[in-house]
Amino acid sequence: MAGAKEVTVVTYRGIFQEVEEALGMYSDGYRDQSAIVSLDGGDIKELGVEDGQPVILETGSGKVVVAAKLSEDPHPGLAFMPSSPWSAQLVSGEVEESGFLDLKSFMAKVSLSPAKEAVTSIEEIAERIKAP
Amino acid sequence: MAFCTGCSLLCDDIEVDFEGGKIGRTMNLCRKGRGHYDSLCVDRLAPTVDGSEVGIDDAVSKAAEVLAGAENLLLFGWGNSTLAAQKVGVEMAKKLGCVIDDPSSYSQGLITETILKGELPTCTFDDVRNFADVSIYWGDDPSSSHPRHLSRFSYFPRGEKRQRGYEEDREAIVIDVRKSPTAEIAADGFFKIPPGGDGDFMGALMATLGGKIPKVEDKKKMLNLGTKLRKSKFGVIFTGLGLAHSVKGELDEFVSLVGKLNELTRFSVIPSLGDYNTRGFNQTLFDETGHVDRVSFKDGVNHGPEFGIAKYLDACDAVMVVGSDPAAVLPASLARKLAKIPMVAVNSHRTFTTDAAKVTVPIAVAGLEAGGSALRTDGVKVEFDAVVKSDYLPDVEVIERIMEAV
Amino acid sequence: MVSVMEIYQLLPKTNCKKCGLPTCMAFAVGLLGREKTIEDCTPLVEEPKYEKKLEGLRELLAPILSADATETGMIIHTEKCYGCGNCVVACPVNVANDPKGTAIGRGPVSGKAILIVEDGVVKCVNVDQCRRFGPEKVLCSACIVTCPSKAIEFI
Repeated sequence: MAGAKEVTVVTYRGIFQEVEEALGMYSDGYRDQSAIVSLDGGDIKELGVEDGQPVILETGSGKVVVAAKLSEDPHPGLAFMPSSPWSAQLVSGEVEESGFLDLKSFMAKVSLSPAKEAVTSIEEIAERIKAP
Repeated sequence: MAFCTGCSLLCDDIEVDFEGGKIGRTMNLCRKGRGHYDSLCVDRLAPTVDGSEVGIDDAVSKAAEVLAGAENLLLFGWGNSTLAAQKVGVEMAKKLGCVIDDPSSYSQGLITETILKGELPTCTFDDVRNFADVSIYWGDDPSSSHPRHLSRFSYFPRGEKRQRGYEEDREAIVIDVRKSPTAEIAADGFFKIPPGGDGDFMGALMATLGGKIPKVEDKKKMLNLGTKLRKSKFGVIFTGLGLAHSVKGELDEFVSLVGKLNELTRFSVIPSLGDYNTRGFNQTLFDETGHVDRVSFKDGVNHGPEFGIAKYLDACDAVMVVGSDPAAVLPASLARKLAKIPMVAVNSHRTFTTDAAKVTVPIAVAGLEAGGSALRTDGVKVEFDAVVKSDYLPDVEVIERIMEAV
Repeated sequence: MVSVMEIYQLLPKTNCKKCGLPTCMAFAVGLLGREKTIEDCTPLVEEPKYEKKLEGLRELLAPILSADATETGMIIHTEKCYGCGNCVVACPVNVANDPKGTAIGRGPVSGKAILIVEDGVVKCVNVDQCRRFGPEKVLCSACIVTCPSKAIEFI
């Protein structure tokens, strides 16, 4: 289906994200460094997304809107996302038998935002966590 | 000279000027460290109860009240605490007969525990700098997470037996799913694997070292790696979250691989741990119980996955989180559970977790506003003094006061 | 050394995107890295209410804008720099001049290092000592290939 794709998302930490985190999580800088997903050049084309455009990421656990980033290196079917409260919305809370909680990779549907939704704000995520 | 508690390298050669309470010129501090220093003036935590600001004494007594009333209490965090505070934390868990855990339970706890048990050989960063000729970064991107790792210890510096510089004297190998900034530096030494492909890579490398032809696409590259490792005099594997999450709590194959390497030459393992004193907490709890995380003191010492934060949230009726931000890191469903449990949060800064807490108690930033000691990620003890005056209490004092009040 | 925060404080902070960047913070980084000029921020230049800020910004940036790339043609993109010190430790001149400091992975101790890390990013000093300097220059690239973020280039 055009405009939507299943990808394996792998999370990582970037230095500029950590700097912004130290300077305050409720900042635009932290959002700009965290609410992003790096996509493969072919995948991004197939989705019809432009570099920097918001996309919806969805799993059985949750949904967020983040900005798509075009990767320099090819990695079809894979997407990279900074680990942050945004990626945490998508990760399953299921604990494996060994007791291990896999925060590092998960399958997600990435799609164009038809309503051109804005990138999910940190305040909204905080609300989701605190909601009764 | 000042210290940096921005990551677990605990750099000790920092020069800093203060300009009216703010950070002025710094020397030798990396970008991440500079962010850590600058955070001194940003988003500091205030003592609160139910979201309203109170005096520190009231916050401490309210915190004690929350903890004292609990049947199944969890003490969580500790990676960003001084050794003294960690010691009191473990003491407190023993005294209250409750569960204590840290983020190791969903990161590198197993690797660290295997090292502390002596089942994986390890060494210090000073050994690495002086003697290592092969550095393998496995699911680990220290250029981003521990920025001075390669320049202070693992690749670029000259050392006793490494006088000729990295081009001639050292090899950098990166095994990762992503061409990380560290992989950029390693250039041809980068081995790209698919997510979860670490086990297969270990198998292929094991076969290569055993003189067999590996079942991989690029056989030549793998055979070359085998030759390099066999010829090396002293190799070190630095592990990161990528490896820890890929093996999912099953370390046997990795232990065998390191064993095989040690039959051929000498190889050590050093984990790149996240918080500045994760190693300290792991060691402190290990010395007391033989485990690095997920310990219950309810009926004697018990250990197991059910005492890791991810599972114990279902059972516990009060939490104290110290110097950690699980609400920002844990999967949303678990973060929501956490936010509904009466919580005391002890931290220097405002975080997602402190925002969800019933009681917040501020502390000084260790290494800047308070002295103390910590274990570097290679296990070496580092002691530091305060470099700036502050009204915030040191973490150990706050934990002690809470314990006394309970 | 001018910091991004100092520049940011003198911008309109409206994130209007007229400069082509998503936020004023990003523009501040662009200014510091000399990828943007003050004139790219049209509201700042055109709207009278920002007159004071504009004046302050020109004053703040004057030293940066006048100093061209160091005489070796070295450009440090500080906005990309991790401050990791790889270049500092790998630089053969630093190794020779500062054997007890940068050569062994520590901060400089001799005062003769040509690359240092200041305020979280790398800085070139004593440029005349760089191997790329002068008539007998060598095309050394130790500081380029050791950088994790491609923050150093020579023009």
